[in-house]
Amino acid sequence: MSDDESAGRAAAPDAPATAATAPPTASPELLACPACGELSHAGARFCEACGTPLAVLPTAGDAPSDPAPDGTTDPGPGPGPDDPTPIAGADGPAGATSNEPGPTRPGARPCVRCGGTIAEDGYCGECGEPAASERDHWAERPASWVAGVCDRGVRHARNEDAMALAAGPSATDERAFAALVVCDGVSSAPDSDVASLAAARAARDVLAAAAPGTASPVGGETTVRMGAWSALLADASRAAQGAILSTVGTMADRENPPSCTFVAAVVDGPLVVTGWIGDSRAYWIPDDGEAQQLSVDDSWAQEMMAQGIPRASAESSPQAHAITRWLGPDAPDPVARTAATLPDRDGWVLVCSDGLWNYCSPASDLSALLHATQADLGDDPQVLAGALVDWANAQGGRDNITATLARFVSAGRRPEPPRPPQNR
Amino acid sequence: MAEFSAEVYQNEFLSEGATDVHAIVTVTCTGAGSAGSGGAAGGVAEVIMVDTSGSMSGRNIEAAKHAAQVAVDQILDGTWFAIVGGSHVANRAFPYPNARMAMVQMEPGARAEAKRAIAMLSPGGGTAMSTWLRLADQLFATVPQATQRHAILLTDGKNESEPRANLSAAVRDVTGHFQCDARGVGSRWQVDELREISTALLGSVDLIADPSEIAADFEKLMQASMARGVASADLRVWTPQGSQVLFVRQVAPTVEDLTNRRSEVNPLTGAYPTGSWGDESRDYHVAVRVSSKPVGSEQLAARVQLAVNGEVVSSGLVKAKWSDDESLTTRINPEVAHYTGQTELAAAIQEGLAAKASGDEATATVKLGRAVQLAQQTGNDEATSRLRKVVEIDDQDQGTVRLRRNTSTLDEMALDTASTKTTRVRR
Repeated sequence: MSDDESAGRAAAPDAPATAATAPPTASPELLACPACGELSHAGARFCEACGTPLAVLPTAGDAPSDPAPDGTTDPGPGPGPDDPTPIAGADGPAGATSNEPGPTRPGARPCVRCGGTIAEDGYCGECGEPAASERDHWAERPASWVAGVCDRGVRHARNEDAMALAAGPSATDERAFAALVVCDGVSSAPDSDVASLAAARAARDVLAAAAPGTASPVGGETTVRMGAWSALLADASRAAQGAILSTVGTMADRENPPSCTFVAAVVDGPLVVTGWIGDSRAYWIPDDGEAQQLSVDDSWAQEMMAQGIPRASAESSPQAHAITRWLGPDAPDPVARTAATLPDRDGWVLVCSDGLWNYCSPASDLSALLHATQADLGDDPQVLAGALVDWANAQGGRDNITATLARFVSAGRRPEPPRPPQNR
Repeated sequence: MAEFSAEVYQNEFLSEGATDVHAIVTVTCTGAGSAGSGGAAGGVAEVIMVDTSGSMSGRNIEAAKHAAQVAVDQILDGTWFAIVGGSHVANRAFPYPNARMAMVQMEPGARAEAKRAIAMLSPGGGTAMSTWLRLADQLFATVPQATQRHAILLTDGKNESEPRANLSAAVRDVTGHFQCDARGVGSRWQVDELREISTALLGSVDLIADPSEIAADFEKLMQASMARGVASADLRVWTPQGSQVLFVRQVAPTVEDLTNRRSEVNPLTGAYPTGSWGDESRDYHVAVRVSSKPVGSEQLAARVQLAVNGEVVSSGLVKAKWSDDESLTTRINPEVAHYTGQTELAAAIQEGLAAKASGDEATATVKLGRAVQLAQQTGNDEATSRLRKVVEIDDQDQGTVRLRRNTSTLDEMALDTASTKTTRVRR
């Protein structure tokens, strides 16, 4: 455990964020109007030229109280009728296990770019953006403090990223629970979008089934739970592998069978446990202090660095992004590596695909981006996740982009157990 | 029931940073039926305006009277109609000036009486075409139930009895009230005057070299008008928020710039009047400037639609896809290239002839040389043969020409009036 954790720290690159480093901030691109390109000042809610909303990407199920964006509520396994803290999970795109991105309902979903109405010809009536299928862009928000946005990006024809989230009702519970799972389908292997969605949901279900308040919750002291969640994350990755194998069927016989990465973070009260296979990442981003990458990429570059090759030459190599571990029929090892941490302050757990972190790999850069966005747009995790996705799209959107966030409230700030009022 | 279809020809791939999207949209109407068949009976009205100025004396007036009678024969029963004799003033020749009704519906008795009235037209006086157009407008106004309104105007001379501004004002005032085909017989009329009328009133302009050809032309014009079963249609162009319509042009069968005729349907959609439709197809060139998007993005750049009675009956989608694949982005769409060339050809001919008329032979030589080159490149053989009558072609590829001496005015006018006629792309 401690090995993994120190490895995780070592991977937080260029660790000290000095004033000299220029972290990506909420740049003008972030507020370039997606409809007309007009630049608006930071904090503007609408484009002055054409009136397009700038701040919030309207998505299906935007209402904060709606835990099931697309009406396909998945109550998640576990919570029986007597459970005091039901764990909400939400399945985003319809057609979870099919190759097709779900039934198309023209006009049913607003335009992902400007919020306008999609006309019958499949393009937005306001800005001309092609209609996104649910698989191309969706948001999940199992609780007010946990949300994610999964997006096709600009340059890929298909969204091979997937995410699955689960959460208990409150971030301030002593056993506040959230599970964030992101799987990035390998785009060189056809049908990886099917694999990634099946994998993410299977893993999420394993984790949600052990949440506090379920029939078989993880219990005990923090250190005990740490071990239990680490084991469960390994189970979750095996379950994800199993889901891929049963979903892809005969596609497994292909030379290039569908496959994906895996990363999951579990928040359980004061504890954050992370598991991963591949190069999708989990970050801890405190409100103040140093951010760190919790996962360690299973990538060629990372392996070279582990062997002492300098980061610069490792990351500039043509194979730098080749992953050394993945999930899928030809996966060498489907068991996630894990790391646990006990953050000492409030902050965010960010789990994302390389579509986001490719544009701001160092934890300090991502932290600066998130904080600048938060200063502009507030604390709503779905708004923030959407803004991070927008930002990555504004940088070029070269890959599918997934950003999921859980608000972490440190033990020190949790409501104290009831005790007699103090006299002052 | 008329059916419309729209086909889009474009290269939708744009290179990184590119913003301008060009497309040719071919709108085809089938099953239009005959005039008036689409709506209630009495929905169609025709006015024939015949020049009765002094200059028409002789062969011209006799040929024009015969032609008007032939045209009357083509007007379908039930169609509202009137005959106007025009000089420096306009007179209603039929229904007779003392008739209670300003227009009557065609039936065998009215047809015979109208022909008799036409036979009594006699030349005299000057030419003030604004009065003809205004009288036609007043006549049409008496039959508001007739929504499909068409007129034919025939003259042989210059609009000499009034300032040009009067004609322009009249054209402006009646625009949108009726369509008008304008015809000039002989070589003493002004192409630009009739073009101003026909362009604004969604009609055609043409030269009739010999009076004996008027009747055949009128017969064709009236037949075409009677075969337009769709009273009126608008071309609608939707463009995305923040974009700019660079131009909207009809490019076939003739070049007409529609850009400034836009009326707003909603902030993103403009309507451009196209008049009535028979079984025919017309090509439109639409150019839109959108903001550039990252490579890999796709966006709808325009919806080009035809609307009849405010209802969209056909729609074509103009798309933009940004790509870094040069083999895609550098491809030039043949339809766009063809009509871009034909539009420039029309302009080169008109500018060349205008320069020649004003004595600027250097400019005339360059412009008409360019026209020769474009006519060859776009395969417009008719334009080439008309150009040959005005210039001596040394090198067609290079556009090297010499102006002919002693060219006939008729040849220059024929070249001018036909300059906006385009040939279709060979598909």
